[in-house]
Amino acid sequence: MRKFFRHLPMKLWLLLLGLVAFAFFSNDFGLVDIQKTAIILAAGVDKTEEGFALTAQIAVPKGSDRTTGGTSSVEIRAEGKTVSDCVTAIFTETGWVPKLVFCNLIVLGENAVKEDAVAYLNYFLRNDYMPDSCLLAACAGEAGELISSVSAIDDASSLAIEKLFSDAAVKSGRVVTVTLKDFAIGYYGVSKSGYLPFVRMTGQRGGQNDSAAPPAGGVAEEKEQKVYSAEETALFSEGRMVGLLSPEETLAFNLLKGKVFAGTFGAEEQGEPVTLTVVKNDGHVSLKKGPTAELSLSVTVRLCCRGVTAPVEDVAADKVTEEIVKNARETLQGYCEKLFTTCKACGCDVFFLKRALYRSSLKEYAAEKEDFLGRLEPVFKTEVRSMR
Amino acid sequence: MKKIAPRQVLLFLACIAPAGKLVLLPARLADVAKNDLLFPLLLHICVQTAAVFCVLLAAKRETGFCELLENTFGKIAGKGLALLFSAFLLFAALLPLLEQKHFVQSVFYDTLPSVFVFSSYFLFAAFVCAKPLSSFGRVWDIAAPLAAAGFIGIFLLSAGSADLAALAPAGAAGAKGFFRGAASACGWFCDAALLVPLLGKIEYKKGLAWKGALCYLAGGAAVLLFAAVFYGIYQETAVNQLFAFAATAKYFPGVTTLGRIDYIFTFLLSLAMAFYVSLPMQGSVDCVLQAFGRRKVLAPILGTAAGALFFGLALALDYRFGDVLTVFSETLFWIFPVFCTVLPPLCLVLRRPRKHA
Repeated sequence: MRKFFRHLPMKLWLLLLGLVAFAFFSNDFGLVDIQKTAIILAAGVDKTEEGFALTAQIAVPKGSDRTTGGTSSVEIRAEGKTVSDCVTAIFTETGWVPKLVFCNLIVLGENAVKEDAVAYLNYFLRNDYMPDSCLLAACAGEAGELISSVSAIDDASSLAIEKLFSDAAVKSGRVVTVTLKDFAIGYYGVSKSGYLPFVRMTGQRGGQNDSAAPPAGGVAEEKEQKVYSAEETALFSEGRMVGLLSPEETLAFNLLKGKVFAGTFGAEEQGEPVTLTVVKNDGHVSLKKGPTAELSLSVTVRLCCRGVTAPVEDVAADKVTEEIVKNARETLQGYCEKLFTTCKACGCDVFFLKRALYRSSLKEYAAEKEDFLGRLEPVFKTEVRSMR
Repeated sequence: MKKIAPRQVLLFLACIAPAGKLVLLPARLADVAKNDLLFPLLLHICVQTAAVFCVLLAAKRETGFCELLENTFGKIAGKGLALLFSAFLLFAALLPLLEQKHFVQSVFYDTLPSVFVFSSYFLFAAFVCAKPLSSFGRVWDIAAPLAAAGFIGIFLLSAGSADLAALAPAGAAGAKGFFRGAASACGWFCDAALLVPLLGKIEYKKGLAWKGALCYLAGGAAVLLFAAVFYGIYQETAVNQLFAFAATAKYFPGVTTLGRIDYIFTFLLSLAMAFYVSLPMQGSVDCVLQAFGRRKVLAPILGTAAGALFFGLALALDYRFGDVLTVFSETLFWIFPVFCTVLPPLCLVLRRPRKHA
């Protein structure tokens, strides 16, 4: 008996351990069955009269009998007073539990970005399971339409749009890419500015038809296939879209960030068009006393092609003449000037110079923060070199 | 009695103690001290370095904490003070435990899981509490290299994405930001107090005190570096990133193609943290055992009771973690300096028993 009581604590401990182990291993760990899960690939957010409309592109696993690869998807649209209401509506209307872990793209509709865009992103910023490295874009028209459109180049429109933001596209200097995190940093920082790629879609004639089978005895519904472009850049101040950079200004912006490699731009020689390839790019924008913004840009180019017939010696020589260099410099400086004027006019501190001032000196920032952009004068330093 | 080797103490101070400061603390500091988050951290690291030095110097006398208390204040008062310190360690255990629980539930699951997914930890905690503290020297031998590898991996993957200019201008949060930051961080800096129950269990060798202080300082420097990188990555949105060390490495370019390889390092650090988080609980149980003896009978009972208590608290406070944080960083933060800053130097003046001829 005494022996029994001597070992009682250990026996009780083992009993408790067994009970807790039973409780632990008898639950499902909160996991949701994959069949009841909606894996959201992309989300489009629009403004409605009531509040918000969320169009979610949900990946649907293809059956094994299908011979085609890729990702098929369905688009579900839901409305609510907040984005969270929309997500809940998707759940209640479909029974699918929406998961944002794989959401790599959020598109804001044109009406949404006219107001404070962060109100539309608030849900995504708060969501612990939403990757903040998710790409962000604004679009012409409704984001829901863009997400629901039939892409000419991919099974899912979101995957086609994401291709526009690949590393290669960024290096070409034709598009900007912005993540949810970067946009939020710009918005909550002292500059209160930001930018997003602006996506447009256009119809593609003569492309593949929608692969959906026609109803029995009926006529196949032909959905126009779309292609997308994001060469323009939407400018934001205090979360509202205040301007739009043209493709040329977008290129200048990327060149000033020094990110371009193998991108092309046009120049002229004796009134004839030539295309130059950027083989090396260096650029930065710095704040000087005044306040003055120094926009320094340096590119090394090689001749990509001429718009007119050229003799074979010219092809072999691959020479960028002084005239082309001069014209290229003028062209790029023109783009930079236009870029600066546009940003200044719409009050978007796209280069985060106000933030640079804040970081350099609190005292100077306090003295100059009022109408900072309005008083900012630019100095352009543009340099174009030939590769040979 | 088996003692903890000096090497093991140094490994704990340099590699395991810093791990506990990499989860919620950076975001909490970014909330109150903004870009000046490094200053309150630096203050705590310096103060704790001095406190660690004092505790390790007291370890030279090779006398247990309770024995020192009993010899100085008498048997009953000594036991009472040991119980008070034990209660403090139980209190100090709550924050890292709930922090770890929320970390696991948020980072390792892609939907909000049941509170029971963390319950196995309490089995582990009950087990470690029942073991003698001195047996954990070997655990530190194993966990410290894992923690170091985890930290180095995460730091290397994260550093390239940080804009350290975001830490400027220094002093933007002002004195208010600094003091609020220092107060908020108190709950995370109780490492010297964690060493106090180990008095008499550490094998003291010449120079351990200053070597320990240097190791703690090195670990603190790692925490400072990480906090700087963390703020450099998230800047004004850092306050939103509750689980710092799981959030910084994902912007490494290779992650896009290889997937979340940073989780390997996150798991390594989490493993080391599991032992660190249980240490205040262990210390608390050990203080009671030091005071009342009967280790064989009391250790499993107290270990189970501590595990059950914290399991109950984890269930009860599952939706009140914000309130717990407020209590620890705004209301009862002052308790920590009393036990973690004032007590360690006092250990040096406590009387040890006279040696009988």
